[in-house]
Amino acid sequence: MCNIITKVEKLITKDTINSFIERIPPAPEALKATLLHLKAEDLTKAAAVAKEDKALNAYLSEIVNKPIFGFRNKVHEISQIFGILGVSKSQQAVYNYMLTLLSPSKWLLFKLNRSSFYNLQAELTVDWQKILHHLNIVDKDIESAISLLPASIIVSEALFCEKIEDVNLLRSVNAIDLNTILKRLCDEDLFDISQRVAQKWNMNEKISEIIQASSGVKPSKDPQINRLGKWMHLLLFYTLSKSAFIDAGLNDFIDFQLEYTEDIYNDFAILMDIS
Amino acid sequence: MRAVVRNGVGVFHPQGFLDGNSSASLLSIDDIEATLNNNADMILVSLKKVIFFNKNGLDNFVKMFQKVRSTNHSTVGFCDYDTKKHNAIMKFYNNEPPFSLFKTHEIATLFSANYKNKSKNILLYSEDKSQRAAMAIELHDNGHNPIVAQSKEEFLQKSEVQGTYDEIIDNTYLGQMGQKVASRVTGNAIIYTVSSFLDAEIGNTFNVAYHNNSLNIGFRLFIFDAYKVVSMNVHALNFFSKLASSGAEYNATICFVGMTFEKTPLTFKETLEDSGIMFFSQMDDILKNKKLLEELGASSATAAKMKRAINKITVLELPNFIDATVATIEMMTNAKAVKQDVKMHNIKIETRENTIASSIGYYGDMDGMIVLVFPLPIAKKACELLIGEQTENTELILDTLAELVNIVGGKVKTLLGDEGISVDITLPRTYPSVESLLEIADNKKGVQVDLLFNDDKFVFFLTR
Repeated sequence: MCNIITKVEKLITKDTINSFIERIPPAPEALKATLLHLKAEDLTKAAAVAKEDKALNAYLSEIVNKPIFGFRNKVHEISQIFGILGVSKSQQAVYNYMLTLLSPSKWLLFKLNRSSFYNLQAELTVDWQKILHHLNIVDKDIESAISLLPASIIVSEALFCEKIEDVNLLRSVNAIDLNTILKRLCDEDLFDISQRVAQKWNMNEKISEIIQASSGVKPSKDPQINRLGKWMHLLLFYTLSKSAFIDAGLNDFIDFQLEYTEDIYNDFAILMDIS
Repeated sequence: MRAVVRNGVGVFHPQGFLDGNSSASLLSIDDIEATLNNNADMILVSLKKVIFFNKNGLDNFVKMFQKVRSTNHSTVGFCDYDTKKHNAIMKFYNNEPPFSLFKTHEIATLFSANYKNKSKNILLYSEDKSQRAAMAIELHDNGHNPIVAQSKEEFLQKSEVQGTYDEIIDNTYLGQMGQKVASRVTGNAIIYTVSSFLDAEIGNTFNVAYHNNSLNIGFRLFIFDAYKVVSMNVHALNFFSKLASSGAEYNATICFVGMTFEKTPLTFKETLEDSGIMFFSQMDDILKNKKLLEELGASSATAAKMKRAINKITVLELPNFIDATVATIEMMTNAKAVKQDVKMHNIKIETRENTIASSIGYYGDMDGMIVLVFPLPIAKKACELLIGEQTENTELILDTLAELVNIVGGKVKTLLGDEGISVDITLPRTYPSVESLLEIADNKKGVQVDLLFNDDKFVFFLTR
């Protein structure tokens, strides 16, 4: 009797998740210092420190000059960028940049690239600002919460990219999303992992709470956080229903919880001019 | 986008907002073709997770539906919507949409010929009288018991009585229904449904490869449900005569049920009878007559005269079959597999208690049948990922096992495709006991691989 262990690997395990978290680099010193100065609302010092990080400079320059931000003239100097954005949006932009440090150089599961991922960040950022303005909310950390939302996409890519065929086969017999697959296999979902990323980078706890509520399956007991979670969940699916992101395979990577957002839908439709 | 295919119904699940731009990106003709190739005879788009849609958004789907219908005759439409969405769609298409609408996926399944849980008590209502009649006929033909409410009041009154009906249908609309020859399995008989005018087109709509493969894997009785056939011409006559001759070498029987010869020459019936085809007026004349079923070869497949040996190509590709199976079970259970034994002989199952099985056939460049024998604990564990919770419901476990073996079949198809070997897969089949499996596989020689998953013995058997 032969006794051979087959070479096939399991889909995803707790170890896969832990190894992913371990591989996340700590936030660079220049970024930490920039965020500290932004927290103290000192834009001049924040810009001076941020200048040392060439990659951050290049990122900010590329993203704020996207048409969706609507600036008439091109801005390149980081002090100019911070000046135009103000404290809250600058903090949000730095967090957006931190997320890009996590994104892969080559996307396999989703048909994304550097440019389309930046577009996704930019669209979410601009629309989130619109929502917070509508809700009369002025809070740096709540504004920055949107930066963490694409972490769920990056985590999906990292965990599932080598299992595309298995996932596709599984999904051909059952309408099951990546978040549910992960939860059933490891008792931890994409938003729990996003929270662990936020903790590793010392992001404000409120950001993690909003992100968890925005999953649509874990409503928060805090009414304000829950309300923001609903708006963010609906915003995510509004954005992922755009053809560029459908083409990228993002429309059904997590489950849209229609009932969770039903009570805010009319407001959302008016705000986003949907007809 | 990929569709989920269950019981012959392929459903796409878009989410969020559907407008002219997004719906064009969500679905392509290629996606639909791939779904049809995966044994679907109904193509639907679920609106369950769609919060907003406009006419432009639906129109893109509808154009594709019409294209598919004109070539494939499949049933196409939308499902999983509430009253508000239903009313919006009816308004967009002036109350006469050129596609079907099913309030839920489950209701759509009742209209699929592939759905095997028959005899459901169904209450139905539609404001449109002809729709009420059309639905009742379709449901009756599919083996259900439809009860038609003649008014809204009657419908509301009856639907309030708990536990009387298995399903309640309203807000549902049958557009142009499929004319494809759908097949379903009842016990060891395969029932094909044919309707309207049978002419040369039957050669295109009847899946000959599926039929031949069903012969190969042991099916011996084929029943054509011909209640809705109006007439038959000489091209169709030739087609059925040839089908009967080709089945003769397998000792197969072909029957026609419910066919009237009011508009078809009676000489056609004689010609078909000469080819060995039998005629019955009612389906129950065959299915409820156990002795007759036995004589016709449908009580057991052991009557098979053609025993087909495992050939070289099957042996060469064996690692692909095993890898596909092991990878799937490992994926579903998150447990490692240990291969214990590989031997070529008739199937041997040591433990018969608490053991269930499933099988799937493949055909094309090579053909055969994969049989998977599960101890109940592995079956339950493997189904947990798809069901989302532990269950003791054997019917649910068997249904989910069918999905699992479908995944194995899909994986085999991909792995063989990578090597330039093209195969299609049949519908999966499940067996609630070892005895029911042995009726099909007892006298078949094949390759048996015993595997251990968490100390539970699992049997993989590959035969032709």
